[in-house]
Amino acid sequence: MRTVDEAVIDFHRYPPIGPDDWRYGLATARVRCLEAALLSRATLLDMANAASFAAAAELLSGTEYALSGAVDRFGPVEELLLQRRREVRELFISLMLDDPLVELLRARHDFANMRLAIRRIVTDRPVGSGYSDFGSVSPEEFEEAIQQENYNAFPLYLQEAIEEAVLAYYENRDIRAIDYAIDRYEARYRIRTAHEVGSVFLLSFFRVRIDLTNIRTLLRLKAADRMERGLFLPGGFVEVERFIHGLDLGYEGLAPLFYATPYYETVEGGVAYFTAEKSFLRLERLCEEYLFGFLRTTRSITAGPQPIIAYLMFKETEIRMVRMILTAKMNGMDARLILDRLGE
Amino acid sequence: MAQIALGIAFLGAALAAFMAGIGSAVGIGIAGRSATGVLSEKPERYGQLFLQVVLPGTQGFYGFVIAFFAMGRIRAFGDGLDLVNALAIFSACLPIAFAGMLSAIHQGKTCAAGILMTAKRPEMAVKAGVLYAAMVEVYAVLGFLISLLILLQIQVPTTA
Repeated sequence: MRTVDEAVIDFHRYPPIGPDDWRYGLATARVRCLEAALLSRATLLDMANAASFAAAAELLSGTEYALSGAVDRFGPVEELLLQRRREVRELFISLMLDDPLVELLRARHDFANMRLAIRRIVTDRPVGSGYSDFGSVSPEEFEEAIQQENYNAFPLYLQEAIEEAVLAYYENRDIRAIDYAIDRYEARYRIRTAHEVGSVFLLSFFRVRIDLTNIRTLLRLKAADRMERGLFLPGGFVEVERFIHGLDLGYEGLAPLFYATPYYETVEGGVAYFTAEKSFLRLERLCEEYLFGFLRTTRSITAGPQPIIAYLMFKETEIRMVRMILTAKMNGMDARLILDRLGE
Repeated sequence: MAQIALGIAFLGAALAAFMAGIGSAVGIGIAGRSATGVLSEKPERYGQLFLQVVLPGTQGFYGFVIAFFAMGRIRAFGDGLDLVNALAIFSACLPIAFAGMLSAIHQGKTCAAGILMTAKRPEMAVKAGVLYAAMVEVYAVLGFLISLLILLQIQVPTTA
């Protein structure tokens, strides 16, 4: 009998998302209503094609991103977007009935805070501020613990991640080793927690994310002409050996390597664009599209945590897209570049 | 023996009422939770959602009606109810008991899905939301009819 973590693709397009959980009837219904208020793709494309920042911002009037009065600097926009992001995260926490799922959200912020703090510490910079306040440890406690090098206040997973990241850094005094170590630990932690809570959806979600991260890593390593074989994360649906083999192939051999996987179109499109434009924009978009395609399969769930997690992801991405487009417009960036990122 | 026969017959009537009733309660509970979630964001949809919430309640009524009929038959037999007729009354109650309970729960789930669709596409509330749930109802109606027909087939002794 095989274990669930073996690199076996036993699905056609998207992995399974698990059954309904009828405790979530009310929460799912609320989320379905809120989904209807998400910005349409047409609105985002119109914003990208708008003649100016003001014209792009005007398209948001009538939505929850409406800006009051004429805005000629980014400060108020950023403030509004941060407020919306805070609201959606608070909504997620209020709708989730299972604490381990909320803890997973908090862990995401803990790991991001930790990454920032360790980078600052090992490069002898002040611990400073700017930490997320959605982690399981408040920013104030976090700063204090880091300054005093007292990590006992942190959850166990964070203590272990710190240890691995610091050890990895001091092996070669390479700042990138911190990110690699934290990525590796975080992926392992997520898979372990998904098993513990018995969530088929989360397990599929995290394994897809590992695969997509590995695809990005593969193309970036090839672009930088680096052959570091130990950077691929284990635990995805695609075996690590396939990515390592990809390092030895030319760009034209990458798409066929993934022919028997659901990521064929993602790799093919991303590599073609990269070889023509020397840019990862399309790969990023295609990875995101695959992930969202998977999240959209949660529409078949009438009640369960799956649609709520998917909504959080959609909403956070929407906020990120609005920020990206408005920033690009304020800096006079070419619409074509924005469209390449958004997708035509 | 007459007491045992009476007990079996009453057990049938009770099963028809409480199993179909349990199904309806669970079904309405499922649909009701979804409807409450939608109404918390869009209270103006109350009218559209009402029918989908109450639909799983019909099975409870079917069970009640069959239980009522069964008790009528038991009374018609009086002290002369034998084991064969008691088993016939018991059997007559089973179709609505099981079909009612299971169909009500599944109808509740179908209604919940319809309610979520109504939240996004209100114009589909009747076309898909109610109609699909009504298709589940068909099998509860069939169970009800069979229970009723069996009860009507049982020959009650006529008083001279």
